[in-house]
Amino acid sequence: MTNKAKILIVDDDIDTVELLTRRFHAEGYDTSEAYDGEQAMQQVEEYKPDLILLDIMMPKIDGYEVCRRLKGSEDTKLIPIIMLTAKGKIPDKVKGLGIGADDYIAKPFDYRELSQRVKYWTAVKMEVQERLREIHRLEQELIKSERLAAIGQTVASLAHYVKNILFGLKGGVYLVNEALKEDDTDSLKDGWDMLESSMGRISGLVLDLLEYSRERKPEYEKCFPNEIANEVCKLIEESAKEYDIEIIKGFDQSMGEVLLDPKGIHRCLLNLVSNARDACIFDSNEEKKWVVQVRTILENDGTVRFEVSDNGCGMDEEVKKKLFTSFFSTKGGRGTGLGLLNTQKIVQEHGGTITVNSQPGKGSTFTIRLPYRDVATQGATEEKESHQVQL
Amino acid sequence: MKKVLVVDDDVDIRKVVSKLVEKSGYKVMEAKNGIEGMGKVREDKPDLIILDILMPKESGIRMYRELKTEEPLKDIPVIVLSAITKKSFFRSQKVLDEFAGQSVPEPEAYIEKPEEPEELIALMKKILG
Repeated sequence: MTNKAKILIVDDDIDTVELLTRRFHAEGYDTSEAYDGEQAMQQVEEYKPDLILLDIMMPKIDGYEVCRRLKGSEDTKLIPIIMLTAKGKIPDKVKGLGIGADDYIAKPFDYRELSQRVKYWTAVKMEVQERLREIHRLEQELIKSERLAAIGQTVASLAHYVKNILFGLKGGVYLVNEALKEDDTDSLKDGWDMLESSMGRISGLVLDLLEYSRERKPEYEKCFPNEIANEVCKLIEESAKEYDIEIIKGFDQSMGEVLLDPKGIHRCLLNLVSNARDACIFDSNEEKKWVVQVRTILENDGTVRFEVSDNGCGMDEEVKKKLFTSFFSTKGGRGTGLGLLNTQKIVQEHGGTITVNSQPGKGSTFTIRLPYRDVATQGATEEKESHQVQL
Repeated sequence: MKKVLVVDDDVDIRKVVSKLVEKSGYKVMEAKNGIEGMGKVREDKPDLIILDILMPKESGIRMYRELKTEEPLKDIPVIVLSAITKKSFFRSQKVLDEFAGQSVPEPEAYIEKPEEPEELIALMKKILG
Protein backbone atom coordinates (compact mmCIF):
# COMPACT_ATOMS: atom_id res chain seq x y z
CA MET A 1 0.00 0.00 0.00
CA THR A 2 1.31 3.43 -0.90
CA ASN A 3 0.78 6.43 1.32
CA LYS A 4 1.49 8.89 -1.48
CA ALA A 5 -1.06 11.67 -1.81
CA LYS A 6 -2.84 11.47 -5.17
CA ILE A 7 -3.12 14.58 -7.30
CA LEU A 8 -5.37 14.86 -10.33
CA ILE A 9 -4.05 17.42 -12.83
CA VAL A 10 -6.74 18.80 -15.13
CA ASP A 11 -5.63 21.05 -18.01
CA ASP A 12 -6.21 21.04 -21.75
CA ASP A 13 -2.61 22.18 -22.28
CA ILE A 14 -0.50 19.03 -22.60
CA ASP A 15 2.74 20.86 -21.84
CA THR A 16 1.46 22.15 -18.50
CA VAL A 17 0.22 18.68 -17.53
CA GLU A 18 3.58 17.09 -18.47
CA LEU A 19 5.57 19.64 -16.55
CA LEU A 20 3.43 19.44 -13.42
CA THR A 21 3.38 15.65 -13.54
CA ARG A 22 7.17 15.47 -13.60
CA ARG A 23 7.58 17.99 -10.80
CA PHE A 24 5.02 16.36 -8.51
CA HIS A 25 6.51 12.91 -9.10
CA ALA A 26 9.87 14.33 -8.08
CA GLU A 27 8.27 15.53 -4.84
CA GLY A 28 6.89 12.08 -4.09
CA TYR A 29 3.24 12.51 -5.13
CA ASP A 30 1.23 10.13 -7.22
CA THR A 31 -0.56 11.80 -10.14
CA SER A 32 -3.11 11.25 -12.83
CA GLU A 33 -4.28 13.58 -15.58
CA ALA A 34 -7.35 14.72 -17.48
CA TYR A 35 -7.52 17.04 -20.51
CA ASP A 36 -11.12 18.20 -20.34
CA GLY A 37 -13.98 18.44 -17.87
CA GLU A 38 -15.59 15.15 -18.84
CA GLN A 39 -12.36 13.21 -18.38
CA ALA A 40 -11.88 15.03 -15.08
CA MET A 41 -15.25 13.83 -13.73
CA GLN A 42 -14.45 10.29 -14.82
CA GLN A 43 -10.97 10.38 -13.26
CA VAL A 44 -12.35 11.67 -9.96
CA GLU A 45 -14.54 8.61 -9.79
CA GLU A 46 -11.88 6.08 -10.81
CA TYR A 47 -8.68 7.55 -9.40
CA LYS A 48 -10.18 9.05 -6.22
CA PRO A 49 -7.65 11.87 -5.92
CA ASP A 50 -6.71 13.62 -2.66
CA LEU A 51 -6.36 16.94 -4.46
CA ILE A 52 -7.37 18.40 -7.83
CA LEU A 53 -5.50 21.02 -9.80
CA LEU A 54 -8.18 22.38 -12.07
CA ASP A 55 -7.82 24.61 -15.13
CA ILE A 56 -10.80 26.86 -15.86
CA MET A 57 -10.87 27.27 -19.62
CA MET A 58 -11.38 23.82 -21.08
CA PRO A 59 -13.44 22.22 -23.85
CA LYS A 60 -16.70 20.33 -23.15
CA ILE A 61 -17.28 21.00 -19.44
CA ASP A 62 -15.28 23.95 -18.13
CA GLY A 63 -13.51 24.14 -14.77
CA TYR A 64 -16.26 26.11 -13.07
CA GLU A 65 -18.80 23.44 -13.90
CA VAL A 66 -16.48 20.59 -12.81
CA CYS A 67 -15.91 22.40 -9.52
CA ARG A 68 -19.63 23.04 -9.01
CA ARG A 69 -20.49 19.41 -9.61
CA LEU A 70 -17.76 18.02 -7.35
CA LYS A 71 -18.55 20.40 -4.51
CA GLY A 72 -22.24 19.67 -4.86
CA SER A 73 -21.84 15.94 -4.34
CA GLU A 74 -21.61 14.27 -0.92
CA ASP A 75 -18.96 11.85 -2.20
CA THR A 76 -16.55 14.39 -3.64
CA LYS A 77 -17.14 17.66 -1.80
CA LEU A 78 -14.24 17.07 0.58
CA ILE A 79 -11.60 16.80 -2.16
CA PRO A 80 -9.68 20.11 -2.16
CA ILE A 81 -9.68 21.92 -5.51
CA ILE A 82 -7.05 24.44 -6.53
CA MET A 83 -8.18 26.47 -9.53
CA LEU A 84 -5.45 27.03 -12.10
CA THR A 85 -5.83 29.55 -14.86
CA ALA A 86 -4.17 32.01 -17.20
CA LYS A 87 -6.69 34.62 -16.20
CA GLY A 88 -5.51 36.62 -13.24
CA LYS A 89 -8.31 39.10 -12.91
CA ILE A 90 -10.18 39.52 -9.65
CA PRO A 91 -13.73 38.71 -10.87
CA ASP A 92 -12.51 35.29 -12.00
CA LYS A 93 -10.87 34.73 -8.64
CA VAL A 94 -14.10 35.53 -6.88
CA LYS A 95 -16.00 33.32 -9.23
CA GLY A 96 -13.61 30.44 -8.61
CA LEU A 97 -13.84 30.62 -4.84
CA GLY A 98 -17.54 31.48 -4.90
CA ILE A 99 -18.45 28.15 -6.41
CA GLY A 100 -16.56 26.27 -3.77
CA ALA A 101 -12.99 25.98 -4.99
CA ASP A 102 -10.65 25.83 -2.01
CA ASP A 103 -7.81 27.85 -3.48
CA TYR A 104 -6.78 29.68 -6.57
CA ILE A 105 -3.47 30.20 -8.35
CA ALA A 106 -2.90 32.35 -11.45
CA LYS A 107 -0.83 31.36 -14.45
CA PRO A 108 1.96 31.88 -15.05
CA PHE A 109 2.59 30.59 -11.55
CA ASP A 110 5.63 30.24 -9.45
CA TYR A 111 6.11 26.51 -9.01
CA ARG A 112 7.38 26.86 -5.43
CA GLU A 113 4.19 28.70 -4.51
CA LEU A 114 2.04 26.01 -6.11
CA SER A 115 4.07 23.32 -4.35
CA GLN A 116 3.50 24.99 -0.97
CA ARG A 117 -0.24 25.19 -1.53
CA VAL A 118 -0.45 21.58 -2.71
CA LYS A 119 1.43 20.49 0.39
CA TYR A 120 -0.95 22.46 2.58
CA TRP A 121 -4.16 21.19 0.96
CA THR A 122 -3.12 17.54 0.82
CA ALA A 123 -2.32 17.76 4.54
CA VAL A 124 -5.76 19.25 5.18
CA LYS A 125 -7.38 16.46 3.19
CA MET A 126 -5.51 13.75 5.15
CA GLU A 127 -6.53 15.33 8.43
CA VAL A 128 -10.19 15.53 7.40
CA GLN A 129 -10.10 11.93 6.24
CA GLU A 130 -8.63 10.82 9.54
CA ARG A 131 -11.39 12.63 11.44
CA LEU A 132 -14.06 11.10 9.24
CA ARG A 133 -12.64 7.64 9.82
CA GLU A 134 -12.75 8.28 13.55
CA ILE A 135 -16.36 9.48 13.38
CA HIS A 136 -17.31 6.47 11.30
CA ARG A 137 -15.63 4.15 13.80
CA LEU A 138 -17.49 5.77 16.71
CA GLU A 139 -20.76 5.47 14.82
CA GLN A 140 -20.19 1.77 14.25
CA GLU A 141 -19.41 1.28 17.93
CA LEU A 142 -22.59 3.08 18.91
CA ILE A 143 -24.72 1.00 16.56
CA LYS A 144 -23.16 -2.15 17.94
CA SER A 145 -23.76 -1.22 21.56
CA GLU A 146 -27.34 -0.23 20.79
CA ARG A 147 -27.91 -3.57 19.15
CA LEU A 148 -26.49 -5.36 22.17
CA ALA A 149 -28.71 -3.34 24.49
CA ALA A 150 -31.73 -4.28 22.37
CA ILE A 151 -30.79 -7.95 22.57
CA GLY A 152 -30.37 -7.71 26.34
CA GLN A 153 -33.79 -6.12 26.68
CA THR A 154 -35.37 -8.79 24.50
CA VAL A 155 -33.82 -11.61 26.44
CA ALA A 156 -35.08 -10.10 29.71
CA SER A 157 -38.60 -9.58 28.41
CA LEU A 158 -38.62 -13.04 26.82
CA ALA A 159 -37.52 -14.59 30.10
CA HIS A 160 -40.36 -12.81 31.88
CA TYR A 161 -42.85 -14.02 29.28
CA VAL A 162 -41.60 -17.59 29.49
CA LYS A 163 -41.73 -17.53 33.31
CA ASN A 164 -45.46 -16.81 33.13
CA ILE A 165 -46.03 -19.66 30.68
CA LEU A 166 -43.95 -22.00 32.81
CA PHE A 167 -46.11 -21.20 35.80
CA GLY A 168 -49.19 -22.18 33.79
CA LEU A 169 -47.51 -25.47 32.84
CA LYS A 170 -46.54 -26.24 36.43
CA GLY A 171 -50.04 -25.47 37.65
CA GLY A 172 -51.51 -27.70 34.96
CA VAL A 173 -49.22 -30.59 35.82
CA TYR A 174 -50.01 -30.20 39.52
CA LEU A 175 -53.76 -30.29 38.89
CA VAL A 176 -53.48 -33.32 36.62
CA ASN A 177 -51.37 -35.18 39.21
CA GLU A 178 -53.78 -34.35 42.02
CA ALA A 179 -56.74 -35.34 39.86
CA LEU A 180 -55.14 -38.70 39.09
CA LYS A 181 -54.46 -39.28 42.79
CA GLU A 182 -58.02 -38.46 43.76
CA ASP A 183 -59.68 -39.79 40.62
CA ASP A 184 -61.33 -36.40 40.03
CA THR A 185 -62.25 -35.93 36.36
CA ASP A 186 -63.32 -32.27 36.74
CA SER A 187 -59.90 -31.28 38.01
CA LEU A 188 -58.32 -33.39 35.29
CA LYS A 189 -60.10 -31.31 32.67
CA ASP A 190 -59.03 -28.04 34.33
CA GLY A 191 -55.41 -29.13 34.49
CA TRP A 192 -55.46 -30.35 30.94
CA ASP A 193 -56.98 -27.07 29.67
CA MET A 194 -54.22 -25.18 31.44
CA LEU A 195 -51.55 -27.30 29.80
CA GLU A 196 -53.12 -26.80 26.39
CA SER A 197 -53.41 -23.06 26.77
CA SER A 198 -49.77 -22.80 27.89
CA MET A 199 -48.67 -24.86 24.93
CA GLY A 200 -50.61 -22.50 22.68
CA ARG A 201 -48.70 -19.56 24.10
CA ILE A 202 -45.37 -21.26 23.55
CA SER A 203 -46.33 -22.00 19.93
CA GLY A 204 -47.28 -18.37 19.45
CA LEU A 205 -43.97 -17.20 20.85
CA VAL A 206 -41.96 -19.61 18.71
CA LEU A 207 -43.90 -18.55 15.60
CA ASP A 208 -43.17 -14.90 16.37
CA LEU A 209 -39.47 -15.61 16.79
CA LEU A 210 -39.24 -17.70 13.64
CA GLU A 211 -41.24 -15.20 11.63
CA TYR A 212 -38.84 -12.50 12.66
CA SER A 213 -35.69 -14.43 11.88
CA ARG A 214 -36.50 -15.83 8.47
CA GLU A 215 -36.80 -14.33 5.04
CA ARG A 216 -40.18 -14.98 3.58
CA LYS A 217 -41.60 -14.36 0.15
CA PRO A 218 -45.32 -13.61 -0.01
CA GLU A 219 -47.33 -16.60 -1.15
CA TYR A 220 -49.91 -15.14 -3.50
CA GLU A 221 -53.26 -16.87 -3.55
CA LYS A 222 -56.77 -15.97 -4.59
CA CYS A 223 -58.52 -14.68 -1.51
CA PHE A 224 -61.22 -12.38 -0.22
CA PRO A 225 -59.64 -9.70 2.02
CA ASN A 226 -62.99 -9.10 3.73
CA GLU A 227 -63.17 -12.75 4.76
CA ILE A 228 -59.70 -12.63 6.28
CA ALA A 229 -60.57 -9.47 8.22
CA ASN A 230 -63.79 -11.11 9.40
CA GLU A 231 -61.97 -14.23 10.64
CA VAL A 232 -59.54 -12.08 12.59
CA CYS A 233 -62.37 -10.12 14.21
CA LYS A 234 -64.02 -13.38 15.24
CA LEU A 235 -60.82 -14.58 16.90
CA ILE A 236 -60.55 -11.44 19.01
CA GLU A 237 -64.23 -10.82 19.74
CA GLU A 238 -64.50 -13.15 22.72
CA SER A 239 -61.56 -11.79 24.66
CA ALA A 240 -62.60 -8.23 23.77
CA LYS A 241 -66.05 -8.85 25.21
CA GLU A 242 -64.50 -9.85 28.51
CA TYR A 243 -63.20 -6.29 28.79
CA ASP A 244 -66.34 -4.59 27.37
CA ILE A 245 -64.66 -3.67 24.11
CA GLU A 246 -66.85 -3.54 21.01
CA ILE A 247 -65.43 -4.58 17.65
CA ILE A 248 -66.96 -2.72 14.69
CA LYS A 249 -66.46 -4.01 11.17
CA GLY A 250 -66.55 -1.73 8.14
CA PHE A 251 -65.80 -3.79 5.06
CA ASP A 252 -65.77 -2.36 1.53
CA GLN A 253 -68.48 -4.30 -0.30
CA SER A 254 -66.90 -3.60 -3.70
CA MET A 255 -63.89 -5.67 -2.62
CA GLY A 256 -63.96 -8.98 -4.44
CA GLU A 257 -61.45 -11.74 -4.89
CA VAL A 258 -57.84 -10.60 -5.34
CA LEU A 259 -54.37 -12.12 -5.37
CA LEU A 260 -52.61 -11.48 -2.06
CA ASP A 261 -50.80 -13.48 0.58
CA PRO A 262 -53.70 -14.49 2.85
CA LYS A 263 -51.55 -16.06 5.60
CA GLY A 264 -49.35 -13.00 5.86
CA ILE A 265 -52.33 -10.66 5.97
CA HIS A 266 -54.00 -12.80 8.59
CA ARG A 267 -50.95 -12.55 10.85
CA CYS A 268 -50.67 -8.79 10.33
CA LEU A 269 -54.33 -8.10 11.02
CA LEU A 270 -54.45 -10.45 14.00
CA ASN A 271 -51.51 -8.59 15.43
CA LEU A 272 -52.96 -5.13 14.84
CA VAL A 273 -56.44 -6.04 16.13
CA SER A 274 -55.09 -7.69 19.28
CA ASN A 275 -52.86 -4.65 19.82
CA ALA A 276 -55.92 -2.40 19.47
CA ARG A 277 -57.75 -4.53 22.03
CA ASP A 278 -54.76 -4.34 24.39
CA ALA A 279 -54.62 -0.55 23.95
CA CYS A 280 -58.20 -0.45 25.30
CA ILE A 281 -57.37 -2.85 28.13
CA PHE A 282 -54.41 -0.67 29.11
CA ASP A 283 -56.48 2.51 29.01
CA SER A 284 -57.08 3.88 32.50
CA ASN A 285 -60.03 6.06 31.49
CA GLU A 286 -62.94 3.97 32.78
CA GLU A 287 -65.51 6.49 31.45
CA LYS A 288 -64.87 5.51 27.85
CA LYS A 289 -66.95 3.18 25.75
CA TRP A 290 -64.10 1.26 24.10
CA VAL A 291 -64.32 0.52 20.41
CA VAL A 292 -62.00 -1.22 17.96
CA GLN A 293 -62.77 -0.53 14.31
CA VAL A 294 -61.59 -2.77 11.50
CA ARG A 295 -62.04 -1.42 7.96
CA THR A 296 -61.15 -2.64 4.49
CA ILE A 297 -61.00 -0.27 1.53
CA LEU A 298 -60.39 -1.07 -2.15
CA GLU A 299 -58.35 1.85 -3.49
CA ASN A 300 -58.32 3.09 -7.09
CA ASP A 301 -54.52 2.86 -7.31
CA GLY A 302 -54.34 -0.93 -7.17
CA THR A 303 -53.91 -1.25 -3.42
CA VAL A 304 -55.98 -2.73 -0.64
CA ARG A 305 -56.13 -0.67 2.51
CA PHE A 306 -56.69 -2.18 5.94
CA GLU A 307 -57.37 0.15 8.82
CA VAL A 308 -57.41 -0.83 12.47
CA SER A 309 -58.25 1.89 14.94
CA ASP A 310 -59.02 2.00 18.63
CA ASN A 311 -59.98 4.64 21.18
CA GLY A 312 -57.70 3.16 23.84
CA CYS A 313 -54.67 4.58 25.60
CA GLY A 314 -52.81 5.85 22.51
CA MET A 315 -49.07 6.42 22.31
CA ASP A 316 -46.77 9.31 23.07
CA GLU A 317 -43.95 10.38 20.75
CA GLU A 318 -41.40 8.31 22.65
CA VAL A 319 -43.33 5.08 22.15
CA LYS A 320 -44.16 5.93 18.53
CA LYS A 321 -40.48 6.39 17.74
CA LYS A 322 -39.59 2.99 19.12
CA LEU A 323 -42.52 1.14 17.54
CA PHE A 324 -40.76 -0.44 14.62
CA THR A 325 -37.14 0.08 15.62
CA SER A 326 -36.20 -2.56 18.16
CA PHE A 327 -37.61 -5.27 20.32
CA PHE A 328 -39.85 -3.07 22.37
CA SER A 329 -42.99 -3.76 24.34
CA THR A 330 -45.17 -1.62 26.57
CA LYS A 331 -47.19 -4.59 27.74
CA GLY A 332 -45.11 -5.54 30.76
CA GLY A 333 -44.54 -9.25 30.74
CA ARG A 334 -47.20 -9.97 28.15
CA GLY A 335 -45.60 -8.79 24.93
CA THR A 336 -42.60 -10.29 23.21
CA GLY A 337 -41.90 -6.99 21.44
CA LEU A 338 -41.96 -8.83 18.14
CA GLY A 339 -45.56 -8.41 16.97
CA LEU A 340 -45.30 -5.07 15.21
CA LEU A 341 -41.83 -5.82 13.90
CA ASN A 342 -43.21 -8.92 12.26
CA THR A 343 -46.22 -7.07 10.90
CA GLN A 344 -43.95 -4.48 9.35
CA LYS A 345 -41.71 -7.17 7.94
CA ILE A 346 -44.60 -9.03 6.29
CA VAL A 347 -46.05 -5.81 4.86
CA GLN A 348 -42.69 -4.80 3.40
CA GLU A 349 -42.09 -8.22 1.93
CA HIS A 350 -45.44 -7.72 0.29
CA GLY A 351 -44.28 -4.41 -1.20
CA GLY A 352 -46.71 -2.45 0.96
CA THR A 353 -46.55 0.24 3.62
CA ILE A 354 -47.68 0.54 7.22
CA THR A 355 -48.39 3.86 8.88
CA VAL A 356 -49.56 4.89 12.30
CA ASN A 357 -51.46 7.80 13.73
CA SER A 358 -51.78 8.09 17.46
CA GLN A 359 -52.64 10.47 20.26
CA PRO A 360 -52.04 9.73 23.93
CA GLY A 361 -55.36 9.17 25.66
CA LYS A 362 -57.32 9.27 22.40
CA GLY A 363 -56.27 6.10 20.61
CA SER A 364 -54.34 4.87 17.58
CA THR A 365 -54.97 4.01 13.94
CA PHE A 366 -52.74 1.63 12.03
CA THR A 367 -53.06 1.58 8.24
CA ILE A 368 -51.67 -1.10 5.95
CA ARG A 369 -51.61 -0.57 2.19
CA LEU A 370 -50.84 -3.58 0.04
CA PRO A 371 -50.51 -3.67 -3.75
CA TYR A 372 -52.68 -6.55 -4.94
CA ARG A 373 -52.76 -8.48 -8.18
CA ASP A 374 -55.99 -8.83 -10.09
CA VAL A 375 -57.24 -12.38 -10.27
CA ALA A 376 -57.74 -11.92 -14.05
CA THR A 377 -54.17 -10.77 -14.74
CA GLN A 378 -52.51 -13.35 -12.54
CA GLY A 379 -48.72 -13.10 -12.70
CA ALA A 380 -48.77 -10.27 -15.22
CA THR A 381 -47.85 -7.53 -12.79
CA GLU A 382 -44.47 -7.48 -11.11
CA GLU A 383 -44.16 -7.04 -7.39
CA LYS A 384 -43.96 -3.38 -6.51
CA GLU A 385 -40.71 -2.22 -4.94
CA SER A 386 -41.93 0.43 -2.55
CA HIS A 387 -40.59 -0.52 0.85
CA GLN A 388 -41.17 2.72 2.63
CA VAL A 389 -42.49 3.14 6.10
CA GLN A 390 -43.84 6.56 6.78
CA LEU A 391 -44.09 7.52 10.38
CA MET B 1 -64.85 -20.40 54.76
CA LYS B 2 -61.85 -18.11 54.41
CA LYS B 3 -61.63 -15.96 51.30
CA VAL B 4 -58.61 -15.45 49.07
CA LEU B 5 -58.46 -12.69 46.44
CA VAL B 6 -56.32 -13.46 43.37
CA VAL B 7 -55.21 -10.38 41.42
CA ASP B 8 -53.46 -11.07 38.09
CA ASP B 9 -54.00 -9.73 34.56
CA ASP B 10 -52.99 -13.03 32.99
CA VAL B 11 -56.09 -15.21 32.58
CA ASP B 12 -54.05 -18.43 32.66
CA ILE B 13 -52.23 -17.51 35.85
CA ARG B 14 -55.50 -16.44 37.48
CA LYS B 15 -57.03 -19.81 36.63
CA VAL B 16 -54.07 -21.78 37.97
CA VAL B 17 -53.89 -19.85 41.24
CA SER B 18 -57.67 -19.95 41.71
CA LYS B 19 -57.66 -23.72 41.29
CA LEU B 20 -54.92 -24.04 43.86
CA VAL B 21 -56.88 -21.85 46.26
CA GLU B 22 -60.03 -23.90 45.81
CA LYS B 23 -58.15 -27.16 46.17
CA SER B 24 -56.80 -25.91 49.49
CA GLY B 25 -60.36 -25.44 50.71
CA TYR B 26 -60.74 -21.65 50.49
CA LYS B 27 -63.24 -19.47 48.67
CA VAL B 28 -61.69 -17.66 45.71
CA MET B 29 -62.30 -14.13 44.43
CA GLU B 30 -60.67 -12.83 41.24
CA ALA B 31 -59.60 -9.45 39.87
CA LYS B 32 -57.64 -8.59 36.73
CA ASN B 33 -56.00 -5.34 37.79
CA GLY B 34 -55.37 -3.09 40.77
CA ILE B 35 -58.51 -0.98 40.37
CA GLU B 36 -60.76 -4.02 40.20
CA GLY B 37 -58.76 -5.56 43.03
CA MET B 38 -59.30 -2.60 45.38
CA GLY B 39 -63.01 -2.62 44.50
CA LYS B 40 -63.30 -6.28 45.50
CA VAL B 41 -61.33 -5.70 48.70
CA ARG B 42 -63.67 -2.89 49.81
CA GLU B 43 -66.77 -4.83 48.80
CA ASP B 44 -65.90 -8.02 50.61
CA LYS B 45 -62.77 -8.03 52.73
CA PRO B 46 -60.70 -11.14 51.94
CA ASP B 47 -58.52 -13.02 54.44
CA LEU B 48 -55.56 -13.15 52.05
CA ILE B 49 -54.55 -11.47 48.82
CA ILE B 50 -52.33 -13.08 46.19
CA LEU B 51 -51.04 -10.18 44.12
CA ASP B 52 -49.26 -9.91 40.77
CA ILE B 53 -47.05 -6.87 40.16
CA LEU B 54 -47.04 -6.08 36.45
CA MET B 55 -50.63 -5.38 35.49
CA PRO B 56 -52.29 -2.82 33.22
CA LYS B 57 -54.29 0.13 34.60
CA GLU B 58 -53.18 -0.16 38.17
CA SER B 59 -50.08 -2.14 38.95
CA GLY B 60 -49.57 -4.34 41.98
CA ILE B 61 -47.04 -1.88 43.36
CA ARG B 62 -49.70 0.81 43.59
CA MET B 63 -52.40 -1.52 44.88
CA TYR B 64 -50.04 -2.86 47.52
CA ARG B 65 -49.35 0.65 48.82
CA GLU B 66 -53.04 1.52 48.82
CA LEU B 67 -53.79 -1.59 50.83
CA LYS B 68 -51.06 -1.05 53.36
CA THR B 69 -51.92 2.61 54.00
CA GLU B 70 -55.67 2.17 54.50
CA GLU B 71 -56.62 1.48 58.12
CA PRO B 72 -59.08 -1.40 57.97
CA LEU B 73 -57.26 -3.06 55.06
CA LYS B 74 -53.65 -2.91 56.14
CA ASP B 75 -53.92 -6.08 58.23
CA ILE B 76 -54.90 -8.29 55.30
CA PRO B 77 -51.90 -10.53 54.62
CA VAL B 78 -50.49 -10.32 51.08
CA ILE B 79 -48.52 -12.85 49.07
CA VAL B 80 -46.85 -11.17 46.11
CA LEU B 81 -46.62 -13.57 43.19
CA SER B 82 -44.67 -12.10 40.31
CA ALA B 83 -42.16 -12.81 37.58
CA ILE B 84 -40.34 -9.71 38.81
CA THR B 85 -37.47 -10.64 41.08
CA LYS B 86 -37.86 -10.11 44.80
CA LYS B 87 -34.82 -7.82 44.74
CA SER B 88 -36.34 -5.42 42.19
CA PHE B 89 -39.61 -5.30 44.09
CA PHE B 90 -38.02 -4.45 47.43
CA ARG B 91 -35.79 -1.87 45.79
CA SER B 92 -38.80 -0.17 44.18
CA GLN B 93 -40.60 -0.21 47.55
CA LYS B 94 -37.66 1.48 49.22
CA VAL B 95 -37.58 4.21 46.59
CA LEU B 96 -41.33 4.75 46.94
CA ASP B 97 -41.05 4.82 50.74
CA GLU B 98 -38.50 7.61 50.52
CA PHE B 99 -40.52 9.46 47.91
CA ALA B 100 -43.78 9.29 49.84
CA GLY B 101 -42.13 9.86 53.20
CA GLN B 102 -43.98 6.88 54.64
CA SER B 103 -42.77 3.40 55.20
CA VAL B 104 -44.93 0.48 54.14
CA PRO B 105 -44.45 -2.95 55.76
CA GLU B 106 -43.14 -5.85 53.71
CA PRO B 107 -45.57 -8.39 52.31
CA GLU B 108 -46.10 -11.62 54.27
CA ALA B 109 -44.39 -13.53 51.46
CA TYR B 110 -42.86 -12.95 48.08
CA ILE B 111 -42.84 -15.67 45.46
CA GLU B 112 -41.07 -15.43 42.15
CA LYS B 113 -42.83 -17.09 39.23
CA PRO B 114 -42.63 -19.82 38.24
CA GLU B 115 -42.96 -21.28 41.72
CA GLU B 116 -43.94 -24.78 42.68
CA PRO B 117 -47.71 -25.06 43.27
CA GLU B 118 -46.98 -26.98 46.47
CA GLU B 119 -45.00 -24.02 47.79
CA LEU B 120 -47.93 -21.64 47.26
CA ILE B 121 -50.36 -24.03 48.93
CA ALA B 122 -48.06 -24.48 51.92
CA LEU B 123 -47.74 -20.70 52.28
CA MET B 124 -51.51 -20.15 52.17
CA LYS B 125 -52.01 -22.80 54.83
CA LYS B 126 -49.31 -21.29 57.00
CA ILE B 127 -50.82 -17.80 56.81
CA LEU B 128 -54.50 -18.74 57.04
CA GLY B 129 -54.09 -21.67 59.37
